[in-house]
Amino acid sequence: MAAASMKLRLVSPVTTVFEGETVGIVAPAWDGQVGVLPGHAPMITLLGGGALFVELPSGGTEEFFVNRGVLKVEDDEVVILTEYADREAPADFQTSQAWLDPAELEDVSTPGNPLV
Amino acid sequence: MSKTREFKRRIRSVDNTRQITRTMEMVATSKLKRCSDRVYAARPYGAALEEIVRALYDPELAGRFPLMRRPDEIGTVAILLLTANRGLAGAFNVNLIRKAREVLDESRAQGRHVELHVVGKKGISFFRFQGEEMASRDTSLTDYPSPEDAERLVSGLQERFETGELDQVYVVGSRFNSPLSTPPEAREILPIRPPEGERTPPENYLLSPSGDLILARLLPLYIRNQVFQALLETAAAEQGARRVAMKNATDNASEMLDELKLSYNRVRQAQITQEIAEIVGGAAAFE
Repeated sequence: MAAASMKLRLVSPVTTVFEGETVGIVAPAWDGQVGVLPGHAPMITLLGGGALFVELPSGGTEEFFVNRGVLKVEDDEVVILTEYADREAPADFQTSQAWLDPAELEDVSTPGNPLV
Repeated sequence: MSKTREFKRRIRSVDNTRQITRTMEMVATSKLKRCSDRVYAARPYGAALEEIVRALYDPELAGRFPLMRRPDEIGTVAILLLTANRGLAGAFNVNLIRKAREVLDESRAQGRHVELHVVGKKGISFFRFQGEEMASRDTSLTDYPSPEDAERLVSGLQERFETGELDQVYVVGSRFNSPLSTPPEAREILPIRPPEGERTPPENYLLSPSGDLILARLLPLYIRNQVFQALLETAAAEQGARRVAMKNATDNASEMLDELKLSYNRVRQAQITQEIAEIVGGAAAFE
């Protein structure tokens, strides 16, 4: 059932950094890495900062650095919205823990959310 | 003799002016290209952000986010007016100021308190001249504004909206439809309007960490992006307006130059004719 590839759009506020087909993604979610393969269930998750790996249908892997943002998967279309996206980390990079307040995260309680 | 010299002087002066306006036209043309590229490049982010906010938005959630609160009675309105730091751009600045004035007068007519935040020297000097009080002034923007600029401009307003000090926030800037169509526009950025269109209920998604936590991070980005978009479009519109204004100025100078040259030659010829007539007359007197 799952398609062999997915569409990926990686956008930052100033530009579209990557747009094209991919067969798999490993992204830095807020709480650890998340992998997305074709046929993934619809999902929306916050991103932290770190490396984003995009596997190309041709076999290679593209590597980006993203910092803060959100990832959405639906119908084999992945949208990654990020504050910063480039081939390398900025020189003054610090982990973006401040983006998520730990106190707030403790009372995450959405009933029926299998990820919590 | 003095008449031709006078014409020569004017021709030189108009020619110099034309050279300057032509250069400004070319500078504006190349900046316009870069600015409009930036406008187009930034649009996918806005579209993607809207798509995700729409997917997450739930009417029930609206009440829980201070950024989406719709006050029953609007007490204080903030207007963020974007203008240019430089003139010589035709009616560009005037149009924006007029639009801001409209919103200002309309809100005042409804008995609301209005505070004015002005970006750009042109807007500032206009409202200073009018004796209007400005809550903040900013002249630090370049021709290529960044998301950080937008953040800096809007973060204070956003906080004050959340605490209830402000009830409505407008951004007055240009909409960049095309290089030739850039009408001024007042966009209501706060309270946030939920994106329209069909949406999948948020329960259909795996959400991590949770719907409202994600939304709480995205809504400020949504506001900032609207301001950023307005900054980009206004910057591009400024270059477009300047290019048109300078093109007109160059054309007018060329036309003026043609006329002056014609008059100059006429005077010169008249002078020669007169001199010949004098010589002939003088020679005739000897015969």
